[in-house]
Amino acid sequence: MSAKAHHSLGHMIAFWTRRIFDKAVLWIYCKVFALLLAMFLCLPGRKRMSHDNGIAGTGTLRIVDNPSFPAHDFFAPGREFPVRIRHASATFLDDAMNCIRSMSIKFSHDRFKSPFDIEMNTGQTSLFWSAVSFLKFAKLRRQKYGVEYRDFNRRYPDGLKGSMEAGRRHASSFENLRYNCKTPFLYNGSDGLRRYAKYRVIPADGAPETGIDPDPSEWDQCNQRILPHETRGRNYLKHEYEDRVARRGAHYKLQIQTHPASDGEDPEVFNNMVLWDEVAHPWHDLAEITITETLDWRESTMTTFSVNNMPKSLGVIPAQSIFDYNSVNYMRAHSEIARKARLLSYKLFGMVPPIPDNDNRNVEDWGV
Amino acid sequence: MNVENTLAEAELTPGATSVDDATIREIVEKAKRETRIEYKDRGSFFTPRMRSINHLEVGRSKIITNPITIALEWAFEQWIAVKRRIKQVLADLFPRRDKIWCDRVDSHLVGRTIFGGDRGQGAPIHHLHLEFWGRTWLGSWRKLGQTRTDKDGQFRLPFDLRQARAFSMRKTYFEVHTTTRVYFKQDDPQFHFDLWKRIPIKPSDLIGMDYNLRTLRLDFWRYRENGYTPRAHVDTTTNAPEHYSEGRVDALISQVIPIELTKIKHLDQIEMDPGTLTIPQIQKDYPVNLTTCIEKYLPGYTRGDDWFGERMMNGMNRGYFQPDKTRKGRYWVRYFGKCWYEHNEIYALPDVDICFKLKKNGLPEPVEIHLTGKLSAYDTDPWQTRKYTPKDEPNWTYAKRVARVSGAFNTEVEEHFAGTHLNAEQFAVPCYRNLTLNPVAALLMPHLKEVSLINHTADKTLIGGYIQSASALSENGLKQRTRDIMGVQDWKGWRPMEPISPAHSCAKAEGMFWDVVCTYVDEFFALREAEIKEHWYEIYRFSEDLVNNAVPVAFTAPGDAPPEGDKWHDLAERRFDYYCGQYCFDPTLDRPVVDGQTRAISRITSAQSFDQAGPEDWQNLKDACKYAIMVATYLHTWINEHQYDDLGEVLYSCGGLRYGEKPRGIMAPEDDYDIAPDLVRSTQMLWFTNLLSRTEYGFITVNEENDVNPHFARLLEERREAFAALGVDVDSIESRTNI
Repeated sequence: MSAKAHHSLGHMIAFWTRRIFDKAVLWIYCKVFALLLAMFLCLPGRKRMSHDNGIAGTGTLRIVDNPSFPAHDFFAPGREFPVRIRHASATFLDDAMNCIRSMSIKFSHDRFKSPFDIEMNTGQTSLFWSAVSFLKFAKLRRQKYGVEYRDFNRRYPDGLKGSMEAGRRHASSFENLRYNCKTPFLYNGSDGLRRYAKYRVIPADGAPETGIDPDPSEWDQCNQRILPHETRGRNYLKHEYEDRVARRGAHYKLQIQTHPASDGEDPEVFNNMVLWDEVAHPWHDLAEITITETLDWRESTMTTFSVNNMPKSLGVIPAQSIFDYNSVNYMRAHSEIARKARLLSYKLFGMVPPIPDNDNRNVEDWGV
Repeated sequence: MNVENTLAEAELTPGATSVDDATIREIVEKAKRETRIEYKDRGSFFTPRMRSINHLEVGRSKIITNPITIALEWAFEQWIAVKRRIKQVLADLFPRRDKIWCDRVDSHLVGRTIFGGDRGQGAPIHHLHLEFWGRTWLGSWRKLGQTRTDKDGQFRLPFDLRQARAFSMRKTYFEVHTTTRVYFKQDDPQFHFDLWKRIPIKPSDLIGMDYNLRTLRLDFWRYRENGYTPRAHVDTTTNAPEHYSEGRVDALISQVIPIELTKIKHLDQIEMDPGTLTIPQIQKDYPVNLTTCIEKYLPGYTRGDDWFGERMMNGMNRGYFQPDKTRKGRYWVRYFGKCWYEHNEIYALPDVDICFKLKKNGLPEPVEIHLTGKLSAYDTDPWQTRKYTPKDEPNWTYAKRVARVSGAFNTEVEEHFAGTHLNAEQFAVPCYRNLTLNPVAALLMPHLKEVSLINHTADKTLIGGYIQSASALSENGLKQRTRDIMGVQDWKGWRPMEPISPAHSCAKAEGMFWDVVCTYVDEFFALREAEIKEHWYEIYRFSEDLVNNAVPVAFTAPGDAPPEGDKWHDLAERRFDYYCGQYCFDPTLDRPVVDGQTRAISRITSAQSFDQAGPEDWQNLKDACKYAIMVATYLHTWINEHQYDDLGEVLYSCGGLRYGEKPRGIMAPEDDYDIAPDLVRSTQMLWFTNLLSRTEYGFITVNEENDVNPHFARLLEERREAFAALGVDVDSIESRTNI
């Protein structure tokens, strides 16, 4: 055997050893994290990992008639789905705080079962970009009185930038915000070509987005507390959404952006902190969403979403390690145990009460 | 003529010699040879030792004399040496190779560097060399990345996250390296980087994207806060901006121990039984200096007019001969006294104006001495002027002594400490702060190193120690005076002293050395023109630091102005006029105004890139470099090495004469010890002048550390004979101001 062959074989063994090791570490990281979450947060605290403060609604979703995006059997033109969505404010039980807002979409009216779920947040970039960064993000939260992530923001400027971009204070409605899925998913189209896709939701009428701080402070971004002399209540955004849907419904557009896969793909394509160039990757209308009814607190709380609720051809992109940008979705996919623990906690300890409209501000726990 | 016999037979009276000029010259040269400083054996094992220059004290320096302590010290040194060797072995075992371990850049260390001493948001540190290293569990080093800070001090160091987080990686370090020294291999400068700060980073904190090290405030060549003059902040116990080379420390310690022991012996004797010690005994215990040596062969000659004139022209004082405006062929040398500075009432320091005429041989002969101010404790009028001529013996002899003492004080405080030490430091600080990539660093650093350290020592031992206790001015007075002298130091328009006669060898040698410096700098610039222009931003920052931290033009700032009153203003004008001539300071130049004050130093350039530079900027830079080198080398060397010649005999000259208790005050003979320095000050003075003249280290031609451009040394070598003809040994010209 030649020296070159030895060299190649040695490299191959090293490569596969490392790959298997990386994958094993990723699996352990995700499973252990989900288990800890289930044991110490979801089960005893009857809590989601972050987005407890929310409101769900139902309606319909209709795939556009003349799609300009690459064809996919699941997104057949004109196809209609019953839809259940949930808007939420991340972490704190106070709508008036500076929070990330979210929209999760389920292509069914069920609490959990669905052919397609997608979870999105405000802001175009994220606060973390991999499993390892997410764990650091969680570790450095150190929340106290509505101030959190101080150390994380100081150490990781990209996380700070994501936080500044995603935070929304005093939004006038959940409806006029823009929601992005940030980390791409698989998109194996009808033509057999492999692509990657990002999704976003915008208001159907193109109403300007509200709640954006035009000049956020780098050093004070960690302070998410309500402003002095705040007049908005703890549930003002949810109440507004109830009224809006009851009055005229809520209307959204689901959009898609695709990127053709290639051999030796630049990993930065999967980086949720890097935007795809909109000229090379234009946004296409995917579907129209109409919400006609909001759900009560109990139903809203029982509604859960999962990135595992997707057709295989539209699922999570496999991740290779805890540093892989795709490990964010991989982690989500492996956190089922936490969801189940939360639902179990409702059975064991009862449903969590609705958020009271009282003066207990800047909190993440129910308390009084 | 047999010199020995002549000397023995000669019974000379001051100023009246029966020996011909040629013989006198022969005697003087013989005395110079006899008192020439030689570096002798370092002694035996149990020779007393000293730890470092920082342990020097005007009182009792920390000397180790006890044999047991010496043995313990030796053992400690061996332990340090063993540790150093172990460190070296480890460095050899685990070398820090230059290969960068990076497959794909996906992460960055980001942040900003600023000068730590600056208040608020300090000035950014540009072009700092930064490295990111990892150390594996097996101890090997892996370089993960490197970069430099940009103009704003920002950095973005790229690295491969997987390499930094490799399973084998135990620790990672972010390192800030600075250019500390320059060495020359052939004629090429080699920069030596030293680790300035190491910041450990937990590998687990590296999670991809950017890791923010935030604003790093580095105590890197920070300016001293509230300094009278632009100074580096030096704290030798915690953080000094630079360190002496080992050779420099060894040279000092080996030379200083004998004189330190002599001083300690005297101080002990004075403490226990002062009556057993006299000034002549103290004098005898120290090495013979030039004047005492000449006195041995030609008694009275050094107190005569010929010697007085010669030393005023070509001695340590190297006086500035200002032509008399009305009388052709007459020159004035002026030494200013207490002026308006804070002072004590123990020592006299009148203004001295000496009028000279030139003899046939070109050497000056004093014809008048004017003393203005208090000469005794009983005088009350600080403006009273007494005039003396050679006919007024013995007062003429006393007046010459007063003039010598005043001249020595002025030369030490103004020309030596302010004009060379502080002046060199005001170039050293911006040089080290700003010059990294620009080749001008290689030109200046060898000549500006260590000056901040020796000045720091001088603050304690000289300005805050000996001089304030042995002369008329207090520490505050001395500081203000040096600040005022710095107010007339500028590179622009500077030129060497003009010889006023063929015998003005001091000025001729100065001019010759200036020619060497000009040739050296011009050739250096021609050779590296492209690189100097490419990194012009560093020159801009160098110039800005230089100007922004320079003192205002003398007497112009509100805090530096003379007291109210016509006489004070006249005195200030006379001083300024004389200083302008003495230091070649052109007051008509358009100088930069910073914070409403006109600064003494001219701006080199206002342009951040050479494309935008003015037509004079290139020449400005060359001129500023020439001036800085000239100040730090030749001008300092001249005074420094002549100190023991002219200040090595207590009764001949000293830092200050005391008023004493008699009505005649300082107009008294040398045997009136009431006006001479007291015993403590006498031994301290001789200790000091020995220390300063005998412990020089770092010579241009000797080039002990290969830190001097060999081309510079060659240019000097080529003129060895010409310098020797002027009484200058090129081997004794220091490459830097470090003593």
